[in-house]
Amino acid sequence: MKRSKTMELGVGLFMLAGILGLLFLGLRVSGLTFNMPGDTFRLEANFANIGSLKPRARVTMSGVTVGRVTAIELDRDWYDARVILELDAELEGRLARDTTAAILTAGLLGEQYIGLTVGGDPEMLVDGDTIRDTQSALVLEELIQQFVSNMVSD
Amino acid sequence: MIESPLVEVKGLHFSRGEKTIFSGVELQIPRGRITAIMGPSGTGKTTLLKLIGGQLTPDVGRVLIDGQDVHGLSRKALFTLRRRMGMLFQSGALFSDLSVFENVAFPLRVHTELPEAMIRDLVLMKLQAVGLRGARELMPSELSGGMARRVALARAIALDPDLVLYDEPFVGQDPISKGVLVQLIKTLNDALGLTSVVVSHDIPEALSIADYVYVIADGQVMAQGTPASLDVDEDRRVSQFVHGEPDGPVPFHYPAPEYFRDILDLEGRP
Amino acid sequence: MIAHILNLGRRGCDVLEALGRSGLFLAQSAVGVPSREGWYLWLRQMHFVGVLSIAIVLVSGLFIGMVLALQGYTILVDFGAEQALGQMVALSLLRELSPVVAALLFAGRAGSALTAEIGLMKATEQLTSMEMIGVDPLRRVVAPRLWAGFVALPLLTIGFSVIGIYGGYLVGVEWLGVFEGSYWGGMQSSVAFIGDVGNGMIKSMVFALVVTWIAVFQGYDLVPTAEGISRATTRTVVYSSLAVLGLDFVLTAVMFGGFS
Repeated sequence: MKRSKTMELGVGLFMLAGILGLLFLGLRVSGLTFNMPGDTFRLEANFANIGSLKPRARVTMSGVTVGRVTAIELDRDWYDARVILELDAELEGRLARDTTAAILTAGLLGEQYIGLTVGGDPEMLVDGDTIRDTQSALVLEELIQQFVSNMVSD
Repeated sequence: MIESPLVEVKGLHFSRGEKTIFSGVELQIPRGRITAIMGPSGTGKTTLLKLIGGQLTPDVGRVLIDGQDVHGLSRKALFTLRRRMGMLFQSGALFSDLSVFENVAFPLRVHTELPEAMIRDLVLMKLQAVGLRGARELMPSELSGGMARRVALARAIALDPDLVLYDEPFVGQDPISKGVLVQLIKTLNDALGLTSVVVSHDIPEALSIADYVYVIADGQVMAQGTPASLDVDEDRRVSQFVHGEPDGPVPFHYPAPEYFRDILDLEGRP
Repeated sequence: MIAHILNLGRRGCDVLEALGRSGLFLAQSAVGVPSREGWYLWLRQMHFVGVLSIAIVLVSGLFIGMVLALQGYTILVDFGAEQALGQMVALSLLRELSPVVAALLFAGRAGSALTAEIGLMKATEQLTSMEMIGVDPLRRVVAPRLWAGFVALPLLTIGFSVIGIYGGYLVGVEWLGVFEGSYWGGMQSSVAFIGDVGNGMIKSMVFALVVTWIAVFQGYDLVPTAEGISRATTRTVVYSSLAVLGLDFVLTAVMFGGFS
């Protein structure tokens, strides 16, 4: 049977483009990463309330994404939320021990993420450490409740 | 007839929906000869070929090819049997996405494991036989109707079959192509020792090459014999068909009420 | 009255019979030992139904992404939530628009062509002559087309999503001035690869199977005349569009409707 090179090439490119497109959807759109374990390090942080923070939410410093939330679980000793963060390996040993982690909201209705603010302690955080100084998510109902009780007490 | 016939059709009944097409057809196709099956349009001649080829199954009756009951065979055995048959379709039925060469090579590639060089030789031999060796690179859409039928003929004989079925080979051909096809059918039959069945209503062409003729009408064999005997047949129906008379037992008018009463609207119909 | 019920019953039987016939047809076509020859036939159909459909799918995808961003922006900006634009564009494309619109375009562009092509092969007795040569046309003609459609449409759907998201980027970020980081960032934190991209792909595969199946069956089963071919081509487009939209609802209910 007569074979046409251009046709074979066309189909080959088509399938390649499809696979590349799927990669794009995976990496750029749904934010999957293929980082090797060595490229990141783990920190833990306990929050009294995480609001609607979800796994894979961003972790930022000064607005720059430096890592992701990998897991959220209930800490059964303290009955609060333990959040596992995975941060760029470059930052290992460069974040002060008194770094604070706060749950912030992008815009009024946007998704929630974690913002890190560096402290001044000479000791540095390493893999597996826990961030002590945390600030919980703002929950609208609690704010209103506080506001109302303040009004009443005034 | 000394030898047993290659194809025997026994007591064939076939109907499509409500319409009866065959009611008790008996045929015997002798080996190595050209048998013509003729009849007016719409008598199911093509259907008969499909019954012989095993594509349709009769309601009652049997078709024997070389003693094998076509419709009693398993699918696999039927496909094996079909390798011994070639069929030339009315439209040629060339595969429109393959070149002339590939069309003729198709049965060889499917059914044999021959090396490429031998396939090439065989295809060129078949194309030479139909006079189209020079057209091997063309696509079917570039061929005239007559050439397409010749290529289809080359494809039908690619596997050197015992039996070739021709479905209306002369329809819609100019006189030159008709002449070429008549010549080819005759030559191939004699040179390759084929058995040929030609279904046609082109009387002069069919009669000029046939050794034996069956005329089919109203679901039955109406007449049979050699071309010479049919030409002088007394039966009005046969002579109307053979001589192409416009009116006769097959009426010119579709059944209708009497002409003057209809014109004057005496029946009170629209 | 009785006559009407009889008529209804007969219609019902006809529909069931056609469904059974097409199911058998699908089963007989889809199985088969792939050979080198079959591989090449498949490749040729991939070119026909896939490569030749790229242009229309990509152009439509670009426009749909741009329109989504434009419409989404005007609504989101009222709530001060234009950062959510990327997420809105990506989710609507991946979950719904890409699989459905690509399948509808595919039915119109490739499905109708498949029906017409197979119908023409039937009308010119190519299928019958193939059988007489001893080759099963279901394997030789129908199977490569079925498999090519099944592979090509999901690939086209991926292309549709990618270019749609890029179209949304052009309008949202380049034109309307949404912050680039929040366009991609919002998308990344809300799109789940398995849940959204994966489910969209599953939808697309289901649509691919249904559309190609309808197209080849209509071609194989039609009345072999010029009129029959034109009717069957129309039927292919109508039936596949209805099937895609109906199935989309069912699949969405199962995947995203919270019944799991």
